[in-house]
Amino acid sequence: MSSRWADSAEDAAEDARRKAEKEEKKRLKVEKLRKAEEEAERAAVAKEKEEQENAERPPKRRRLSGERASDTSDGAAAERPLLRFEAPVWQPCRSVERFDRLNHIEEGSYGYVSRAKEEATGEIVAIKKLKLDTARDAGFPVTALREIQCLTAAKHRHVVELREIVTGEGTARGDVYIVMEFLEHDLKTLQEDMAEPFLPSEVKTLMLQLGSAVEFLHDHWILHRDLKTSNILMNNRGEIKLADFGMARFCGDPPPQNLTQLVVTLWYRSPELLLGATTYDSSIDIWSLGCIFGELLTRTPLLQGKNEVDQLSKIFELCGIPTEETWPGFKRLPNARSLRLPSNQKGALGSVIRSKFPTLTNAGASLLDSLLSLDPSRRPSASEMLSHKYFKEDPRPKPTSVFPTFPSKAGQEKKRRHASPSAPVRGAAPGLGDIDYSSIFKGREEEEKGGGFQLKVA
Amino acid sequence: MAPITGPSHLVNSLASPAHLETSASQLDGVPKDLEDSIRFETSRLLQATGILLRLPQEIIAQSIVVLSRFWSGADGMSLLECDAVDAAAAALYLTAKPSATPLSPRSLLTVLEYTSTVSPHYSQASTGASEPQWSLSEGSYETARDRLYATEAQLLRTLGFQTHVALPHALCINYLQTLQVFKAPSSDGSALAKRAIKLLNTALLSPQQLFLTHQPPALATAAIYLAVREEGVNLPDVEWWEVFDVDREELGFLVVALTSVEGFAEREREVWGDRKVPLTVGEVRAEIERRTMLEEGE
Repeated sequence: MSSRWADSAEDAAEDARRKAEKEEKKRLKVEKLRKAEEEAERAAVAKEKEEQENAERPPKRRRLSGERASDTSDGAAAERPLLRFEAPVWQPCRSVERFDRLNHIEEGSYGYVSRAKEEATGEIVAIKKLKLDTARDAGFPVTALREIQCLTAAKHRHVVELREIVTGEGTARGDVYIVMEFLEHDLKTLQEDMAEPFLPSEVKTLMLQLGSAVEFLHDHWILHRDLKTSNILMNNRGEIKLADFGMARFCGDPPPQNLTQLVVTLWYRSPELLLGATTYDSSIDIWSLGCIFGELLTRTPLLQGKNEVDQLSKIFELCGIPTEETWPGFKRLPNARSLRLPSNQKGALGSVIRSKFPTLTNAGASLLDSLLSLDPSRRPSASEMLSHKYFKEDPRPKPTSVFPTFPSKAGQEKKRRHASPSAPVRGAAPGLGDIDYSSIFKGREEEEKGGGFQLKVA
Repeated sequence: MAPITGPSHLVNSLASPAHLETSASQLDGVPKDLEDSIRFETSRLLQATGILLRLPQEIIAQSIVVLSRFWSGADGMSLLECDAVDAAAAALYLTAKPSATPLSPRSLLTVLEYTSTVSPHYSQASTGASEPQWSLSEGSYETARDRLYATEAQLLRTLGFQTHVALPHALCINYLQTLQVFKAPSSDGSALAKRAIKLLNTALLSPQQLFLTHQPPALATAAIYLAVREEGVNLPDVEWWEVFDVDREELGFLVVALTSVEGFAEREREVWGDRKVPLTVGEVRAEIERRTMLEEGE
């Protein structure tokens, strides 16, 4: 029983003991299973005998209970080991004065991020000072609260590590800072400074890491709701970590009703969100993954709409016009009623992903195509994505250890700001109004025909 | 979606021995028994307020646990520095905020104003037998709201943002299913489940702060053990609680603690009678003064 209150010095020994306990438990379980099987077999045999002979021997029930009694006495002697649960302790927030601020990295709607050094250990960290406005946010902002909750629950190799929450001192006691691990790059800035896009083998490694992070989140009932390249951080060892959980929230199955549709940065927002769906699930993150995949391949964002309407038309241009067969029920979404779509005739309304990515292998194109399915239920789950054959064919994913390194912008220089829409702010969701999409495919026939053949890359 | 693999939904932050040894209130000179009374009364206040606000029990229970963390340990908040009512309001507001049922400050403060005036006779209030009209003037609403935001920030700082609370309630149903009580034709599984859930909600009020000292699996198991005995259901005559990783000693402790809550509540009612348990700093000071005067009188 002393284990719960053990000092940190004893923790290592404690861990070892716990591990041994676990193994012992596993072994016992197996044994128990085996015993149960034997018992069942014996019972079956006994029953058969009983039926055959119809003798007046003592009923088998008594024999069984006798056996069980002897089992327990055996077990008690051996002292069955039990699983103990980790018990983290809470403590008041420590002070931000333990960190030396080195340089400013970025300012967003949520707060200011700087690079800092912890005085005691010399470790470099990223510190995010939250923008607090009690009148506007009705107390502590719910987005920050969700970000802290989600990051605390999401301890994973490819999710940025939340180290602690610290507060200011004295008159600045109300200031709240989130201390996170520092990574040198974000994928967006990095790509802009690269002469060439990532190699196919590098894209695979990045997508695998990203997929494992998203799989972990979805397994833990967390929706990220703002996946985009500027929220993916990368260190100089080729490892990426997911950051910025300001839009994230816990969800359930079935998904909660009346979720806000004002999530995900426009270029990465899925068609059902644009059409006003208020019940959605993890498939909105998968759509964003598809957009990121396309962006990694070409170095430019895949779908750069100017506004909601333009975004939707860009999506339909790339993925085709939805029909009742390809996306059952989409017409019932709130904003779909006002859509006027070109009537389905003469084909040419399907996806053009294959021809847009001529150098991508067939497997790659099929993966991208499935991630960007208009119908959310047809998108694969993150774990299905990870087992896609695209990741198994040549070229193989490049080991992170041989990834190229890049000079870090966040390390010293102030970053250039780039024109990119930011995450939607809270407020009334705009409807799409009355829009005519019937002309968006006008020029497509000439453009698409070409020589009637296509370069295939095996 | 895949099942939860990590322990976070099963495991809580527990109090350290230092947290349990003393509290900021005791260091400030609040007697232990008075502190227990106030914590008990505030939990009841939260429960009644939550019911009137139509909140799920999940939120109410979590807010009670968050509040008890707030008072614990020398680093915690003292009853002589923060009104118990304000702390309760902040705990409920904060717990509901990121959930599916967020509260507006106005509805919370108005209902809380009502419940703290009917304290300690909530049972009449929560059944809706009496229906006094209660409203908050605009001026006092605004001051109360600013206090709510300040206390909320204080609460977060004191807990180091550790507001995650895993509850044993769902786990308890899960364990009962594992024990196949809902399948057995002879026993009434749903009555058993109801009894166990009632015991868990009672445990929230325990002066021993059971939710700060024991993990949800142990609480769920103890509630089932006691419910089985009270409902007279037959379970296998083996140490089934070990399947849920609870040993005999821990189970025994929790069962005794759970059964003792009723006695504690009875005593509280006798001691306080119709007197109001102090729920603000001023009332607490007055009560301490009253006690010292009584002692000097003797």
